Amino acid sequence: MNFIMAWRNIWRHPRRSILTIAAIVFATMLLVFMLSWQFGAYDTMIDATVKIHTGHIQIQAQGYQDQRDMRKVVPDPNEIERILTSLRGVKSYTFRAEDFSLVSSENRTYGVLVIGIDPQKEPSVSTLEDMIRRGRFLEAGDRRSALAGEILADNLNSPVGGDLVLLGQGRDGSIAATVLTIKGIFNTGQDEFDRTMIHIPLEYFQELYNMRGAVHMAVVLCDSLTAVPAVKERIAGALSGIDSSLAVLDWKELNPGLVQAIQMDLVSGFIFYLILIIVVAFSIMNTFLMAVFERTREFGVMMSMGMGPGRLMGLLLMESLGITLIGVVIGTIAGAAVTWYFQIHGMVIPGAEEVARQFGLPERMFPQLSFLSIAVGAGIVLILTVLSALYPAFKVKGLKPVEALSAV
Amino acid sequence: MILKLAWRNIWRNRRRTAVILTAIVIGLWAMVFLSALMRGIADRMVKNAISTMTGHIKIYHAGYRNDPVIENRIENPGEIKNILQSLPAVRQFTSRIRVNAVAANARHSGGVTLVGIHPGREAGISFTGDAVTEGEYLKDEESQGILVGRALLEKYETRIGHKLVLMSRDASGEIASRAFRIRGIYDAELESTERQFVFVNLAAAQEMLGVNGDVTEFSLLIDDYEEAAAVAASVGRRFDGDDLAVYSWKELLPLVVAVLKMYDGFILFWFAAVFIAIAFGLVNTILMAVFERIREFGLMRALGMKPSFVVAEVSAESFFLLFIGTVAGNLLGAASVAALSQRGIDLSAFAKGIEFAGMSRIIFPVLELGDILTADAAVLVLGMAVGLYPAIRAARFSPVEAMVHM
Amino acid sequence: MTIVECRNVKKIYRQGEVSVTALDGVDLSIVKGDFMALAGPSGSGKTTLLNMIGGLDSPDGGSILLNGQALEKMKPSQLADMRLHQVGFVFQSYNLIPVLSAVENVEFVMLLQGMPLQERRRKALAILDDVGLAGKYGRRPAELSGGQQQRVAVARAIVGAPAIVLADEPTANLDSASGKDLLKLMQEMNESKKVTFIFSTHDKMVMEYARRLTLIRDGRIVEDRRK
Ligand SMILES: Nc1ncnc2c1ncn2[C@@H]1O[C@H](COP(=O)(O)OP(=O)(O)O)[C@@H](O)[C@H]1O
Ligand SMILES: [Mg+2]
Repeated sequence: MNFIMAWRNIWRHPRRSILTIAAIVFATMLLVFMLSWQFGAYDTMIDATVKIHTGHIQIQAQGYQDQRDMRKVVPDPNEIERILTSLRGVKSYTFRAEDFSLVSSENRTYGVLVIGIDPQKEPSVSTLEDMIRRGRFLEAGDRRSALAGEILADNLNSPVGGDLVLLGQGRDGSIAATVLTIKGIFNTGQDEFDRTMIHIPLEYFQELYNMRGAVHMAVVLCDSLTAVPAVKERIAGALSGIDSSLAVLDWKELNPGLVQAIQMDLVSGFIFYLILIIVVAFSIMNTFLMAVFERTREFGVMMSMGMGPGRLMGLLLMESLGITLIGVVIGTIAGAAVTWYFQIHGMVIPGAEEVARQFGLPERMFPQLSFLSIAVGAGIVLILTVLSALYPAFKVKGLKPVEALSAV
Repeated sequence: MILKLAWRNIWRNRRRTAVILTAIVIGLWAMVFLSALMRGIADRMVKNAISTMTGHIKIYHAGYRNDPVIENRIENPGEIKNILQSLPAVRQFTSRIRVNAVAANARHSGGVTLVGIHPGREAGISFTGDAVTEGEYLKDEESQGILVGRALLEKYETRIGHKLVLMSRDASGEIASRAFRIRGIYDAELESTERQFVFVNLAAAQEMLGVNGDVTEFSLLIDDYEEAAAVAASVGRRFDGDDLAVYSWKELLPLVVAVLKMYDGFILFWFAAVFIAIAFGLVNTILMAVFERIREFGLMRALGMKPSFVVAEVSAESFFLLFIGTVAGNLLGAASVAALSQRGIDLSAFAKGIEFAGMSRIIFPVLELGDILTADAAVLVLGMAVGLYPAIRAARFSPVEAMVHM
Repeated sequence: MTIVECRNVKKIYRQGEVSVTALDGVDLSIVKGDFMALAGPSGSGKTTLLNMIGGLDSPDGGSILLNGQALEKMKPSQLADMRLHQVGFVFQSYNLIPVLSAVENVEFVMLLQGMPLQERRRKALAILDDVGLAGKYGRRPAELSGGQQQRVAVARAIVGAPAIVLADEPTANLDSASGKDLLKLMQEMNESKKVTFIFSTHDKMVMEYARRLTLIRDGRIVEDRRK
C-alpha cells in the first residue's frame, strides 16, 4: 500500500511530475549518449594507435623505450619467437628494428626513422599494409626496397619507383649506406608518421645496420585489449628465466600520452556532467520540496495515526525514487536508442575531422554503447537525484504532529 | 505595479525561490566559468603556436611552404625589410633561416629543425626570448653557439658546452656539416617543441648553407592577431610582383584553427545543455507558484483583470528569477576566473596527456565578453520564452476553475 | 478501569513577549466506556487538551497517564507507537488521505500495525458496513460528502481497536442532520463495541448526546458530571 500511495502521489500533479521526469530523462539521455561517445572514441583511438604503431605489447631491451639507443637490442629474436608461438592469448607478433638515418633523393635530404619490418608478419600486427596508397607493400625477398610516408615522399619529390640514398650508422658504429627504391607510399592520416618514417625489409635492415641477427622489439597483438595484462604477465614469466635484460611493455607504457589524454578527457568530462546534473538536481529538488510542504497537514494526520517519522520519510523517498526511476529508465532506453542509431550510422562532427584525424580517429565516428556507459550514465543521475530528494525528506523528520496538523 | 506584484510574489515562498535561484546561478556560473576555461586552453594553444616560430604573419618564397628547402629562399631580404619598416600595421618583424637538418653527437643522431635567428629581434617575437633556463641566450656576433631544448638535451645525453654537429643540404645541394657548442637550454610548453627546434645565429646558418645574406622567412607581429588575415592580404599586395607568399597564422596553423572551431561548437553545445537543465526547473517552479495561487488568479479574472495582465505578471516573475540568477551567476563566474587568473590551473599531473593533446601545462581561464553575452542572452531570452507556458496557463484560469480546484 | 489520568496538566504557549496559558492545571480521569463531551467556548483549551491526551503535544507541567504509562516521558517514536495502538483521532475537517480510497484509508492504520493483507481488507470492509458506507468502499475522499467522509474517519479511528478515540469538534463542519447521524453512529459504536470516546464541542445539541459532560473554561475544568 505504501507503494500504491507513492505511485498515486506521484500522479497527483501530473504536469509537475512529467516535467520533473523529463528533466531526468534529458540528463540520463545526454549522459548515456556522451559517455558512449567518449568510450567509443577511446576504443577507436587505442585501437588505431595499437594497430598503426605500437601493438598491444612490446618486448624491448631495458631502457630502449626512453633512450632509443640502437645498441640496446633484443639479441635473439628466434628465442622470443619460440616463446610467443606457444603462448596462450597471443594472436600474432612480429619483429622490428629501427634507427634514425638521413635519406636523400636527387635534390632533397631529410632525417627519418628507418624501420625494418618483416613483410610477412607485419600485416598480422599492424594496418600498415592497408594504408598503402600507391605502389605495393613489401614482399618476401625484397631487399633494397622502401615504403615511404606520403608527406615524406612529397617532400623528397620522390614517386613510387624513385631511388633514395640512405645514410646512417650501424649498430657497431660503422657507416650504413645504400640506395633504396620506393615500392609503396602509405598514408596513416597522422602527419607525424607520414612525414618521418620509411619502412624497409627487416632482414635487409639487419644486414645494412650490422645488427648481427638482433632486433629492437618484438611487437605482440593479443586476442583482445582485456587479455593484455594476463598475456604480459605470461610473457614476463617466460622471459624471466632466459634474459633479464629484456623489458615487457604494454600499450599503456608504450603510449603514456594517449593514456593520460584519455584520463584527462574522462576527468574533464565528468566535471562537466557533474555540474550539469547538479543543475538538474536543483531544478527537481523544488518538486520534491513542494511535495513535502503542500502535504504537511496530511503528514500530521498520518503521524496522529501513529505513523513514525521514519516511515513517513520512507514514503517520501519512495515517491522521489519512483519519479527518478521512471526518468532514468526512460532516459536510458531513449539514450541507448539514440546511441544505437549513431552506432550503426555513425556521425560526422562538422569541423572536427581534421582534429580527429591527428588523433587517429576516423572522420565518421561511432559511439560505442556498452554496459559501462549505460551503467555509469544512469548511475550518476540516479545517485545525484536521490541525494537531492534527501533534503526535503529529512525536513519531514523534524516535523511536530501538532504543527503539521495546523498547517494549511 | 506589475513589477512590484511579481517581485513580492517570488518572495512568498523563499525556500522555493532560493532553490531555483541556486539552480540558475550554478548553471550560469558553469556556463561562464567552463567557457572561460576552454577559451583559456584555446588561447594558450593559439599563443603558443604563434610564438613557436609562427608569428601573426609570415612571408615565404612562393615555393617554400610546400617544399621547405633552402632552394626556395628569399634572395632580397633587404628590400623586404625596408618595405616592412614602412608599414604602420607591422609592429615587429624578424627574418630567419629555417631548414630541416640532422643533429648528431657521439651517441645519437636525429632530425631537427635548424633555425638561424637574429637573437635580438627574435627575442620579442617568438618564445625564445625568455625560455632559456640554463646557460645563456645567443649573442649577436657569435657564430659557434647553439640553443637546444631540454628534451633534446636529455635525449642526446649531453650538456652545456658540449658539441653538437648539424648537417643539412646547402644551396649547392651538397651536405653541409658544422659543429656548434651548446650555449643555452630552453624550456618550451611542449616537449615536441624542445625536441624539434635548435637555434643558431642567422649569420652562422647563412654561412653554413652558403646562402650569403639570404633568408627563408619573415615573421611579423601586428597589433591585433585577429586582424591577421586582413593585414596579410594588404602586406601581400605590396609584394605582388615578387616571388613571395604571405600567410596569416590561420593559414599556417590549420589544426589550431580546427581546434578553435571545435571549441566554439563545444561551448555552444554546453550552453544548450545547461540551459535545458535550467529550463525544466524554471517552468516547473513557476508552474507550481501559479497553481498555488489558482484562486488568486481566478479572483483577478473575476474582478475583470485582463488575461494579458496575468501573462505579464507571471512573465515578470520568471524575469526576476532569471535576472537575479544571471547576474549572480556572472559575478560568481567572473570571481572564480579572477581567483584562478593569478596562478592558473596546473595540469602537470597529466604532463604526457596535455603534450598529446597539444595543450599547455598551466591553464589560465579567459573571460570572453562574447561568450558571456551569448550565455546571458540565451538564458534570459529563452528562459522568458519557456516561462510563457505557465504564464499563459495562469491567464486561462477561469473563476469557476479556480473554485473547483480547491 | 481508568484509561486516561490527567494530573495538574499545564500548557503555556509563548509567542515572543506574550504567553497564553491554554491549560491551567487540568485534573481529569477517563474510564473505559466513557462517552464524554468536552465542552467549552472557542479558545478554552479543548483542542490543546485532546492533543495532550493523544500524545501529539507535550504538557509544560503535570502528568498524563495513558493506560498507566506517562506520556511526557516518552520519545517521539514511542509516542507514535502508542498512538498507533491506543489512540484514534477524528478531526473537524475529516483529514482523510486524499490519494487513498475509503477502504484504503481504513486499512492504512492496520497496515501500520502490521496486519496481513487479507485480514486488513476483511476488517476494513466490515467496519465500513458498520458505519453505513456499504458499497462506497472504492470512493476517494473527494467523491464522498462531508458526513460520509467523517464516517470513514470514525471507521478509521476505531478499526485499530484503540483504548480511546479523541474527536475534536467532529460535527462542526457538518449540517445538523449529518451531525446527529454521526453522533448516533458514535453512540452505537460506544455501546456495541465498547469504544471509549471523548469529543469536544461548543454545540448544546451535541452535548445532549454525551453520557458525561465536562465543561472547560480558560484552561480549567469547571464542571464534570455524568448523566
Ligand atoms: N500554537 C499556538 N500558539 C499560541 N497559542 C495557541 C496555540 N494553540 C492554541 N493557542 C491558544 O491557546 C488557547 C487554547 O486554544 P485551543 O486549545 O485551540 O482552544 P479550543 O480548541 O478550545 O478552541 C487559545 O487561547 C489559543 O489562542
Ligand atoms: Mg479547537
